[in-house]
Amino acid sequence: MSDAVAQRLAMQRAAPPRWRALASHAALSAASLVMLYPLLWMLASSFKPENEIFGSISLWPSHFDTGAYLRGWTGLKINFGHFFWNSLIISLLCVVGNVVSCSLTAFAFARLRFRGKNFWFALMLGTLMLPYHVTLIPQYILFLNLDWVDTILPLVVPKYLATDAFFIFLMVQFFRGIPRELDEAAMMDGCSPWRIYRKIILPLSLPVLATAAIFTFIFTWDDFFAPLVYLNDMGSYTVQLGLRAFVDSSGKSDWGALFAMSVLALVPILFFFLFFQRLLIEGVATTGLKR
Amino acid sequence: MDSIGAVAERRPLLRHRLSQAARSDRRAYLFLLPWFAGFFGLTAGPTLASLYLSFTNFDLVQSPRWIGAANYIRIATSDVNFGAAMKVTFLYVALAVPLKLAFALAVAMALNKGIKGLPLYRAIFYLPSLLGASVAIAVLWRTLFSGDGLVNKVLALVGIHGPSWISDPDYAIYTLVLLSIWQFGSPMIIFLAGLRQIPRDVYEAASLEGASRWRQFRRITLPLLTPVVFFNAIVQTIDAFKAFTPAFIISEGTGGPVRATLFYTLYLYLEAFAYFRMGYAAALAWILVIIIALFTAFSFLTARYWVHYDE
Amino acid sequence: MARHLVGRRKLLTAGLGGLALASAGFPAFAPARAEDKRLRMFWWGAKDRADRTFKVNALYAAHNPGVTIDGETLGWGDYWPRLATQTAGRNAPDILQMDYRYIFEYARRGALLPLDEYMPSLLNIADFGKDAIDSGRVDGKVYGVSLGLNSTALLYSKTAFEAAGLKPPTVETSWADYAALFAELTKATKKEGFWGSADGGGSETALEVWLRQHGKALYDKDGKLGFGAAEAAEWLALWDDMRKRKACVPADVQALDRGSYDSSMIALGKAATAFEHSNLLVTFQTLTKDKLAMTMYPQGGSGAKPGQYLKPSQMLSVYARTKFAPEAARIVNFFVEDPEAAKILSVERGVPASAMMRKLITPELNELDQQSIVYISMVSERVGPLPAPPPNGAGEIQRTLRRVNEEVGFARQTPSAAGKQFVDEAKSILERG
Repeated sequence: MSDAVAQRLAMQRAAPPRWRALASHAALSAASLVMLYPLLWMLASSFKPENEIFGSISLWPSHFDTGAYLRGWTGLKINFGHFFWNSLIISLLCVVGNVVSCSLTAFAFARLRFRGKNFWFALMLGTLMLPYHVTLIPQYILFLNLDWVDTILPLVVPKYLATDAFFIFLMVQFFRGIPRELDEAAMMDGCSPWRIYRKIILPLSLPVLATAAIFTFIFTWDDFFAPLVYLNDMGSYTVQLGLRAFVDSSGKSDWGALFAMSVLALVPILFFFLFFQRLLIEGVATTGLKR
Repeated sequence: MDSIGAVAERRPLLRHRLSQAARSDRRAYLFLLPWFAGFFGLTAGPTLASLYLSFTNFDLVQSPRWIGAANYIRIATSDVNFGAAMKVTFLYVALAVPLKLAFALAVAMALNKGIKGLPLYRAIFYLPSLLGASVAIAVLWRTLFSGDGLVNKVLALVGIHGPSWISDPDYAIYTLVLLSIWQFGSPMIIFLAGLRQIPRDVYEAASLEGASRWRQFRRITLPLLTPVVFFNAIVQTIDAFKAFTPAFIISEGTGGPVRATLFYTLYLYLEAFAYFRMGYAAALAWILVIIIALFTAFSFLTARYWVHYDE
Repeated sequence: MARHLVGRRKLLTAGLGGLALASAGFPAFAPARAEDKRLRMFWWGAKDRADRTFKVNALYAAHNPGVTIDGETLGWGDYWPRLATQTAGRNAPDILQMDYRYIFEYARRGALLPLDEYMPSLLNIADFGKDAIDSGRVDGKVYGVSLGLNSTALLYSKTAFEAAGLKPPTVETSWADYAALFAELTKATKKEGFWGSADGGGSETALEVWLRQHGKALYDKDGKLGFGAAEAAEWLALWDDMRKRKACVPADVQALDRGSYDSSMIALGKAATAFEHSNLLVTFQTLTKDKLAMTMYPQGGSGAKPGQYLKPSQMLSVYARTKFAPEAARIVNFFVEDPEAAKILSVERGVPASAMMRKLITPELNELDQQSIVYISMVSERVGPLPAPPPNGAGEIQRTLRRVNEEVGFARQTPSAAGKQFVDEAKSILERG
């Protein structure tokens, strides 16, 4: 079989026939609808009059009422934009912290030899297992003694100290997938571990770094328990805390405003996701390794 | 003579090795510095404190009072809620974890092809996970899965009369399993990132040899993806054991109907914050840690037989 | 003054280089350095309450230069974990909103300040009347000041009764009448997925009213269970019978109610009643298109004792370790006895306990709010004394009742077996404390 024939055959196999692409689209669109329904419902609810929200699964309000957005944005003592700003700052700071500190730690666990490695690794994983409810109070007292309560430090500083074992473990798994010949060759050339980390591991790990960035941003944005405990002043509330100010199970709630602001709260994380998922894709080009 | 010579020869080698080990230790610890600072500065203290609290009676206001192993003894002998919570949690782990992973992997594979509009689909599939555990989800789940909810309306079209899924003790847990599967975004993204790291040329080689799609998946994709599968399985299992928010949001902390959604951490939370028994809650937490640790250790033991690293 | 989280410019200079965090001064985070008194106040509630409370705090600060009140607010569910955490960290707010259920738990553990020494010099609530003052007493000392009077109330849909052509329940309706009336309402309404009444079997307040009508109590004054397995079984059977007669919703519908108002049967349009409290009429009205009204819980029949009682909807308490005890007492006084403050707060937290304030605000109220004032004064003549304070563990027993009623509803237990189990469990919970 000549090279040309083989190539054509391969191309035929690689490019799926038209009907197949159509079928894929149909299946994906149908699935999308199921995934999207809740969001559409939330969007509809944000335009519904208050007493129509419950007990109705309709995606179409009886009449459009944009009042909820206005009430939500300006209704609380502090403008909702302020909460967005707070959440954004905290989330971005956490993204930087997690990506830097967890990749350093993961590099050591995945690539370096040192005594006690298994022991420390097991301990690191162990920190994933304890429910946070029982460490909450000791931790609160710790931060209180550091005089960090009512600041963003308890939310942000831990990320710079690699306390998120989830991300360390994630990166370890990916770093271990990078061919070892690469850094062994570099080592032969006298590269320091730092250079290997900077010049080989990081550039080849864009997909996982982007993943970590996306997750950190979203987890931090959606997190509500830590801000609940550590941020007292309404001026320092995050979006999630602000959202809960509309609803109180023991009194009069503003559901319309809740849904309106919930919809808006999705926008930044969606943008962050769309932006960073490009890195997920670009990762391919740089990973075209020869083995 | 011979042996002495060997020892004499080995000695400098040994010293060399030792110093090399010390040097690589130092290097590694330099990389681990932030982690050590975080572990010893922020994590270890509260963790040990919670271990100590598990041997006390602590009502959050008065100082903790040492009561020995009484909390653990009560859990082991006379706590009916413990058994109920265990049952609910194990059922949830056994169902939610494999289903969610299979779903996430399937969708990630589907999304890893060269179809137009991929970023859009990816975003849409990730959307439910973005919603997290908001109050809106609780309201939505109720409108979907109550007796006259959307799900039953659809089922009625094919002549099935469904129960009130979310409020029937026989079915409530499954609506939470479904919620977990529906929010499959995180493992999906991790699978995608894993698929992205598989070099194209491996497939090209396989294609040329005339491998079928299924064969490609079995022989190339899956083995190269095992580290990521392993990660997702471990992390999702730990998460499922610790699952709190879904039950807390959907049942608004009641764990009902009856005890059908009394997740382990929900029970623990109620003990700590609703009934002022932080010491008891800490004991519950440490029992959970032991269970999760056993599972994880077992997974790591089996990993050598099926997880392939490029090493 | 709202403190800003981070100055915007400051942040830009600090950039995203997280390490700058440690060194960059975050002046916004520094505790207030001035000599003035800065008190923290914490309450649960939604937006409406927050607006009013912030306004009153600002008013107080305007009248008292050098005093600032920082308000913190959360919803009910989030309020308690944060308060517990802060209390454990000995960092609770100076002034905090308290619930009748929790005041005993907090006061007995030494987290609250007895206010007697400031009465009446700084805190003059003589016009509350003895009962209302006593409602904030724990073991003889005043730990809470009522922010509003309240009593249990049966909220019902006037619209549903009008549509069915039936007469709504009154203060004379007995439990037996109630079952018959709502069975009829279900039948007359002829709407699939609708039943006359919500299932009140799991409601602790309903059980308590019923027990008191029978000369029993939820808890006696020693903190022991005030009833036995026979009463519990009778109560559960009462509701089981109503379920069977279709007077109330079936168990799998009632279980949709997770304790929040938006999931109540009346809000979901599944039934026409809610066993609630009088200050909630306004809240429930926002959740349904039906027109709502309220009356008392069903009566025990002739010769029965009064079941209901007046209790505070919520209270203000002062943290035991506050640095500003006298100032805090003065602020509490401002909330309940200042005419300007009373007008701002209105009846949002319930009808003011102070007779003077009540008189002052009544003319300005709308129809719905007027109803709660009328209701409270009507009920005042039909209530019994305040019951003994609930013991530690009452919260868990409340949840247990709900579960046990569900077990009967889902036919997992007979009422009599469930009644015995409930009493056994409740006793062991009380023993544990």
